[in-house]
Amino acid sequence: MSVRVTGLCVRHRRTVALDSVDLELGAGVHGLLGPNGAGKTSLIRVLATVGRPSAGRVELLGRNSDSPRERSGIRGRLGYLPQEFGFYPAFTVREFVAYVAWLKEVPADRVPAAVERALRRVGLADRADAKMRTLSGGMIRRVGIAQAVVNDPSLLLLDEPTAGLDPEQRVEFRELLRELGTSATVVVSTHLVEDVAAACTEVTLLDEGRIAYRGTPAALTRLGETSDGPGDHPIERGYTAALRAHRARGVTDARETV
Amino acid sequence: MNPGLPLYARSRALPQTLAALAATTGFAVWAAGALDAYLDPGRRVPVVALAPLLAAAVIGASLRSDSDELDRTAVRPWWPRRLAHLLALTALASAVLPVAVAGHAETFGAPAMIRNILGCVGIVALAAVVLGARLSWLPAFGYVSAAYLASSGARGRAATVWAWPVQPGAQPGAWAAALAAFALGTALYAVRGARPGG
Repeated sequence: MSVRVTGLCVRHRRTVALDSVDLELGAGVHGLLGPNGAGKTSLIRVLATVGRPSAGRVELLGRNSDSPRERSGIRGRLGYLPQEFGFYPAFTVREFVAYVAWLKEVPADRVPAAVERALRRVGLADRADAKMRTLSGGMIRRVGIAQAVVNDPSLLLLDEPTAGLDPEQRVEFRELLRELGTSATVVVSTHLVEDVAAACTEVTLLDEGRIAYRGTPAALTRLGETSDGPGDHPIERGYTAALRAHRARGVTDARETV
Repeated sequence: MNPGLPLYARSRALPQTLAALAATTGFAVWAAGALDAYLDPGRRVPVVALAPLLAAAVIGASLRSDSDELDRTAVRPWWPRRLAHLLALTALASAVLPVAVAGHAETFGAPAMIRNILGCVGIVALAAVVLGARLSWLPAFGYVSAAYLASSGARGRAATVWAWPVQPGAQPGAWAAALAAFALGTALYAVRGARPGG
C-alpha cells in the first residue's frame, strides 16, 4: 500500500477538518469526492506532507511521514498539485518546472529531459519558453500538472486538477491519469463526478471529515441506477445517494447515543 | 553550479535586491556627505538610523516566496537555505553600507551602522514570520521612527537599550538589544520561514 492512514484527525482552530479517518490506497487512480468543506483538501495536504495531523498515523510509500528523515525520502517520490499553486510570473514554463525539479532533488543532468517529458505529457512542449505571466488559466493549470509529474512520482496528489481545463484538455488529462495510474498511486480531489467515472479505479467519498463511501466508480454508478435521488447521470445519483445514506446513518447513530 | 540555484535566486528577486542594496549604499554615501558631519559626527544619526532600515526593508522583500505550498514539499529542509539567504544579504549590507560613514567609530561610524543593520534585519525577519514578507518592513519602520523621534529627550540606561538605533557605536546596551533582535529574528525566520501569502 502506498498510503496507509490510521485514525487521522486534522483540526483548524475549532473546526474539525478530518475526524478519525482510516484509509489505504494502492496503485491506481483514486477519486476523492465530497461537498465543499468535506475535508478533501485537508486530506490531500496531509498526504503531501504539507499539512500536519492533529492525531493519527500517516504512512506514505512505506515510510512514517511524522519522521523528518523519512519525510525527505517521501517527498522525493511525491508529486503535488495544490488547489492554488503560486508561481513566478517572470519565469518561463521550462524554468518553473525546472525549479520544482530542483526542489525534488532531480539530478541536475536529468532535469532538462525530465522537464521536456513533463511538458510533453500535458501538451505544453510548444510553450516551454513562454513566460508564466502570458499563459491562460487552463495553461497554468497544465503547468501545475507538469510540475507535479516532473520527478516521475510514485505518489501523485492532485487537488482540483481539471479546474479551468476545456473539455478537450480534460479528456486528454483523463488519459494521462489512466497512464500514470498504471505505475503510481494517484489521488485526485475533484467536484467533477464524470472525471471520476471516466478515469478513476476507486472512489472515496468524504463528508464532514469522515469517509462516507468507498468503492469503485462502477459500484457508485450502480447505486445511482437503483436510487431516485437528484442527478442527471447515474454516478451523480449514486454520489447523492451515498452521501444521504451516510448522513442518515449519522442521525441514527446520534439518536442511539442519546 | 546546480542550475536550481540561479532559479532560486530569481524566485526571491535577488538580482533586484542586490541592485536596491547598491542604490541604498549610494544614497547613504550621498546623504552622509551632504550632512557635513566631519566636525560633529552626531549629524550622521539620520544616516546611521535610516540607511540600515532601508537595507533591511530591501532584504525583507526578498524573503517572499510565491510558491510557498510547493516549496513545503522540497526534499531538503529549508532552514539552512533560509539562514544562508538572510546571513549572506546581512553580511553584504554590513560590508557596503559602513563605507558611507567612515571614521568616528566611537560615535556614529561603521560600528553603529553595522549594529543597526543587524537590529533592523532582526526585526524585519521577525515581522516576515508574523506578518509575511510583503509587510515585513513596517514594524522596523515604526520602531526606528519612534526611537528617532522619542530619543532626543530620553536619558538613562534604559534609553541606551530601547533607543538602540540612535545610540553611539560604543554603547554596549544598544549592541545587546540589536544583537538580541537579530538572533531572535534570524532563528525564527530560519525555522518557520515567512508567513505564506504575506
